Amino acid sequence: MLKDLGTPARGLVRSAGMPREIRRRRTVLVLVILACFTLIVLDARRSAGSPVEPLREAAAGVFGPLESTASSARQPVDNLRDRFAEMDRLRDENEKLKKDNESLTRDLNSSDYARNRAAELDKLLKLAPAFTMTPARVIGIGSAQSFNHTVTIDAGTADGVHVDMTVLNGNGLVGRVVRTTQATATVLLIGDRKSTVGGRLNASMALGFVSGRGEVAGLLDYHLVDLKARPKPGDKIVTWGSSDNAPYVPGVPIGEVTSVTANEGALGSTATIRPYVDPTRIDTVGVVTGPPARPPRAQLKPAPSPKVSTTEGKVN
Amino acid sequence: MIALRIGLAALFLMVAVTVQTSVLTNIAVAGVTCDLVLIVVIALALSRGPEWGAIAGFAGGLLLDVVPPADHTAGRWALALAIAGYMAGLIRRETSTGPVGPLGVALTVVLGTAVSLFIYSATGSLLHDPSVDWGEFGVRLGIAAGYDVVGAIVVIPLVMWIMGRVVPARERRRVLP
Repeated sequence: MLKDLGTPARGLVRSAGMPREIRRRRTVLVLVILACFTLIVLDARRSAGSPVEPLREAAAGVFGPLESTASSARQPVDNLRDRFAEMDRLRDENEKLKKDNESLTRDLNSSDYARNRAAELDKLLKLAPAFTMTPARVIGIGSAQSFNHTVTIDAGTADGVHVDMTVLNGNGLVGRVVRTTQATATVLLIGDRKSTVGGRLNASMALGFVSGRGEVAGLLDYHLVDLKARPKPGDKIVTWGSSDNAPYVPGVPIGEVTSVTANEGALGSTATIRPYVDPTRIDTVGVVTGPPARPPRAQLKPAPSPKVSTTEGKVN
Repeated sequence: MIALRIGLAALFLMVAVTVQTSVLTNIAVAGVTCDLVLIVVIALALSRGPEWGAIAGFAGGLLLDVVPPADHTAGRWALALAIAGYMAGLIRRETSTGPVGPLGVALTVVLGTAVSLFIYSATGSLLHDPSVDWGEFGVRLGIAAGYDVVGAIVVIPLVMWIMGRVVPARERRRVLP
């Protein structure tokens, strides 16, 4: 077979000049392609015992620190990118902050009652218990050519990060951990096509599923379980959490509904969601590594007096 | 001499992988980064021929496959870059033994980008990877090709110059009359 491949198809005179060289380079090509196919077949099943795993471990061991160092060197790059956007951004921000300030002052005057009530409800539902977090920095980002919406963070099993842990930042849900090594972890972003998150509509408590579209902007699709429920633009969506808090803990904001389209030829509707987290600008994230500081299913007292419950809320 | 060349090539590939995954992604255009590894592979192929292109492509692609944040079946980038590297090496051999002109290099880079992206996406489709999106393929290929040519202007002359310095004497006589 190799001999056949080595026979040049055209130009006998030319092939007589360097048949050995041609044969050698084709042998190399065939060997390399065979090696690639072997790798693909070995790794295609994605089972836990893939023989490529040790290779990934070793690569992460070598390149984790390298990426970490290179990330520190990206400050000038970031500055360059931000310099152009800086003035506009500051002006916009100033305006927005002024407006926010006004509305917040207005809200403050009327919100005590609402806040107490919300704190009480929160305590009842235990929707957002305080989880133990491990902070981490993003040191590598998957490119759009590879269709992967994944990032590397600089925390691994040594820091208590394991597969199927929730990753979030100050704005909302980032994704979940899919692969870990000693000092790094790979995070699948919610915008990836392979990602599906259970999402609860804040306004009506209806349940649904948020799935990624694989777009660079990170837009998400939202399908409600209840076919009759119609989400409205502006509705906010939070995670409803999984059993044992893996892979997603409850109560993490995901995003906001921007538009709703009825499904063609079927019941129900699909909502487009703009995530709170801009996938191109994630830097510092937190990995939920521990259970909530208090048990999420505390027993409810039959008739707690409102005064006691608010003071408890402050203590917690 | 040959050990020095292999060491240099390995060094180039490692630096390229690191820079591509953690620095260049921050200046991505619509999410598409410059394929620095592909450019280095093409530079090696243009200076050393198709065997080097294939092996360097395999090694560089394998690194892209296993270095985090990669989360796809290993071997896909390796196959894509090996074939792209081999083709780039053929272009150098077919035209002449002399250096390839700037336009030739640019066309080689565009061709390499197209071939490698297509093979990577096609293997993904064959393996039923749900993240491969052929609707976005054309746009991303266009941006990637443009970006890669820009990166190649800087990287390819540098790599080829350094690789040219470590050419053995007998080959230098043959290549540069």
